[in-house]
Amino acid sequence: MNLSFAGCGFLGIYHVGVAVCFKKYAPHLLLDKISGASFGAIAACCLLCDLPLGEFTSNILRVAREVRQRTLGPFSPSFNVQELLLESLQKHVPNDAHIRVNGKLHISLTRVYDGKNIIVSQFSSREDLLQALLASAFVPVFSGILPPRYHGVRYIDGGFSDNLPTLDENTITVSPFCGESDICPRDVSSQFFHVNLSNTSIELSRQNIYRFARILFPPNPEVLSNICKQGFDDALRFLHRNNLLNCTRCLAVQSTFVVSETLDDNMDYDPECVECKMHRQEALVSNLPETVMTIFQDAIDSANKGIINWLFKHRSVKLLSLLSLPCILPADVMYATFTNLIGNKIESYTLEYNIIGNILHTSSQMISCGRHNMTSSRFILNVPKLRRNLLELRTFFLDQLRMLFPKININYQQMPQTIKCELDITEYGSNIYDTEEAADNLYKNKKNLNLTLQYNKLQPWKEHSKTSNCVINMSNLSTVDDTFENILQVTSDQEAVMAYYYMDDNNKVQVTEIFDVTDSESHAMLSMDEIENNTKLQFDEWDEPTWLSQHTLNDAVTESLYTDVNQQSIENLSEMSLEDDILEVLNISSDPESEWEINRNIQTGVSTPSNFQSEVN
Amino acid sequence: MANHEIVRSKSWFWEWFNWSGSSSTMLRAAEKKILSCLRTAYRGWYVDIGPVVGTSDKIWTISLNEESPKTPIVLLHGLGAGVALWCLNLDALASHRPVYAIDILGFGRSSRPVFSNEAQEAESQLVRSIEEWRREMQLEKFVLLGHSMGGFLAASYSMQYPERIKHLILADPWGFPERPVERISRAPMWVKVIAYIMEPLNPLWPVRVAGPFGQWLIEKTRPDIVKKFSPVLKDTAVISQYLHQCNAQTPSGESAFHAMMQHFGWAKNPIVRRMDKLSPEIPITLLYGSRSWVDNSSWETLKQARSSSYINVQAITGAGHHVYADKSEIFNKYVLEACDLSDSIPHLTVSDIRSNIKTINEKQISLILANEEVDSKAVQEQELNTSQTRSS
Repeated sequence: MNLSFAGCGFLGIYHVGVAVCFKKYAPHLLLDKISGASFGAIAACCLLCDLPLGEFTSNILRVAREVRQRTLGPFSPSFNVQELLLESLQKHVPNDAHIRVNGKLHISLTRVYDGKNIIVSQFSSREDLLQALLASAFVPVFSGILPPRYHGVRYIDGGFSDNLPTLDENTITVSPFCGESDICPRDVSSQFFHVNLSNTSIELSRQNIYRFARILFPPNPEVLSNICKQGFDDALRFLHRNNLLNCTRCLAVQSTFVVSETLDDNMDYDPECVECKMHRQEALVSNLPETVMTIFQDAIDSANKGIINWLFKHRSVKLLSLLSLPCILPADVMYATFTNLIGNKIESYTLEYNIIGNILHTSSQMISCGRHNMTSSRFILNVPKLRRNLLELRTFFLDQLRMLFPKININYQQMPQTIKCELDITEYGSNIYDTEEAADNLYKNKKNLNLTLQYNKLQPWKEHSKTSNCVINMSNLSTVDDTFENILQVTSDQEAVMAYYYMDDNNKVQVTEIFDVTDSESHAMLSMDEIENNTKLQFDEWDEPTWLSQHTLNDAVTESLYTDVNQQSIENLSEMSLEDDILEVLNISSDPESEWEINRNIQTGVSTPSNFQSEVN
Repeated sequence: MANHEIVRSKSWFWEWFNWSGSSSTMLRAAEKKILSCLRTAYRGWYVDIGPVVGTSDKIWTISLNEESPKTPIVLLHGLGAGVALWCLNLDALASHRPVYAIDILGFGRSSRPVFSNEAQEAESQLVRSIEEWRREMQLEKFVLLGHSMGGFLAASYSMQYPERIKHLILADPWGFPERPVERISRAPMWVKVIAYIMEPLNPLWPVRVAGPFGQWLIEKTRPDIVKKFSPVLKDTAVISQYLHQCNAQTPSGESAFHAMMQHFGWAKNPIVRRMDKLSPEIPITLLYGSRSWVDNSSWETLKQARSSSYINVQAITGAGHHVYADKSEIFNKYVLEACDLSDSIPHLTVSDIRSNIKTINEKQISLILANEEVDSKAVQEQELNTSQTRSS
């Protein structure tokens, strides 16, 4: 069986979800050919090269966020999709990729001069492969003016001629649009009116209209994340329906961390850090006039609480930025044309080099591609970016201020923190093979549970009072008793099938992990000790991707733990009240100890910040 | 042929200034060209059914193998289609029995009277036109096969005239399931606005608005339909031409369909709601494409409602909504089997359903499972949203 991925721009994240599912549950289906157009081709390449898909997803989500911050979205002249794509591909695609995918990966391209569809499957080098992928994802105007060359011929997005290249009868088609494909979202709609655009069947439903608009304009990361999860679910359902899968249960865990603006940029919590120590020293000796202090403090506080942030999110400012477009646009266009011009010049040089290369009997492709890559990175980096510079300037300024008035530091750390942990459990359980069993069994095996643990901590420093709440919503109460433990256990025992993170508009880092919980059922019953161990382990596990992934995230976690400790040092009562809260709302009954254990772990795990805190106090 | 009788006479000026590019001559030519691929001889003529909806309605009929003494089969096409789209099935079906295919009143080459705006009335007008046609044709009992909207009409017809139906074959019929209760829709405002604007328009309006570019539009948006017929037709452009000509004319049948429809493709009076009116004596065969996924849970309710009578549900793998053209050979086989079965056994009951249905059973269950999952996930997402607002 062959696979075919439809091209769909930013919705391509759906394919990642599908790919993860196939990789985990049906690797035997991946032995054959995989075809794709546009982003589908990139997804296919990732799948064949065995790339870390979670990381790749995070990357896409980051790009989507960046795009959304611009007034004109992806059409801002200084935004270069091709460059971003190339950058992430360069980073992830292994050196022997072309050997791995040769003959397996089929990339659909549209030749510019006659509009014919070309399917490429042989790649001489890694650069050759990357070039083909880039050409396949080139949407005119959106990505640039001049289509890239591949083997000397200009090509554009394969989606214009054949968006869903099928190689033979037994091709599993994957499309993020609800329609007549094998794997696609199933909307609640009548499925009556269809159109078929370059071989991709698209139903005319509201959701699809929305999706269609989102091909080039990425939605907010949360929607994208849901699309990714949907891909995973749809692929699982397809495998079930076709009896390719025995019995699986999956668990999607979404965790949220709040990251405030300051943390995001420049806060460094390393207790060993010399600068921090210096700050503290300075804090002790400094005695500036009250008034000056308060003014600055206010100013910085307001900045931190994100008035600017709030302002930028406000509609009127969005309108303003749209209105100011006529002034900014020419400059932006100038800048873009400037870089493009140089880029084109270099490209023409590349051609010359190419010819010379041919004469010298060296691998011409290597040179041309290498050259091309260099142009796209070198020149973009050389031209200063106003936006980034301003940001750096501000950071620098704030840093200087902090150096001057170190006491303000303390105020940074009093941001309200929220730890939110959401658990979506979708369980796939069916014994399709056991035909003797009654149909009821199928329903029995399927559990659906949505569990939200919200741990909200507002910490008004002056009042010395605290609020903490923990909300657990459960749609299926009967199964909670062991399920919650199971969740803890599963998340601790196993590596996630897939994990990715993104930052949403409120500067919250959302971490989504999908676990396979099929095996863990066998030892559902555990002794107290084991559960305790598990919860400890669980917390380690829980932190792990966040610690590893990104420094901002790292900060976020530390910060949340850190305030935890703060509270501890202020009043020891908090732990009791917290436990009570949990017990009241939760009624997980079996053992509240395990719940508590989490908190304990936080404290023991991060003992150093605690010291630090006490010093500051 | 008396084409001039059907088309309203227009002044030469309007004839010349014809934006929509509709022409009954072209429609006839396109149909002829498509049907030229048939190996069996066919006869086409207008059946005058008198004043049913308009003043004098005529239904375009083609027939094959009329001499056969066996029970005839009558084919009803779907929305926006016509008799010619059965070209992959006519030969096979005609090899055993008489075949009649009609352009439903208001579609194809039939006359296009103005139907009622009211769902029930429009439906009964269409059903009555079929019954009048049957009376003119003097058919005593026949097998009725309907695709999509034709399936809906076939089911509705069988409710009103059960004594005429030997076997009811539904190919991916439209209008069976109830419209699900809409939860708080998460679609953004602009999508809702578009939906609101589109709602009062006839479903196939872009074809007429595009005027001379209508055929090009069909070629671009539905290349899949055109491709389905490539094995038998050398010049596939004729399919898009035919479809364009079918729909470029006054959209009276389409308006009737629009009256019966609500919220983009859901029936106002879905069949499941009145399933009890369908006589249990009528054997039903239901064929649908595995990819089309017209809400399968309704087939299950259909089965439960008719647990005591013959109902055979078959999914055809690899086929979409146009199941008759996607996998025409398998489709023809199933249809012929169903016809033969009701010929050989006068009263089909549950016991006659053969064992091969069992495999379908399993697939259906998993499908329903999947369906429920989708529902519950929507709930989950909602809850997720609420919890987030709480936290912020």
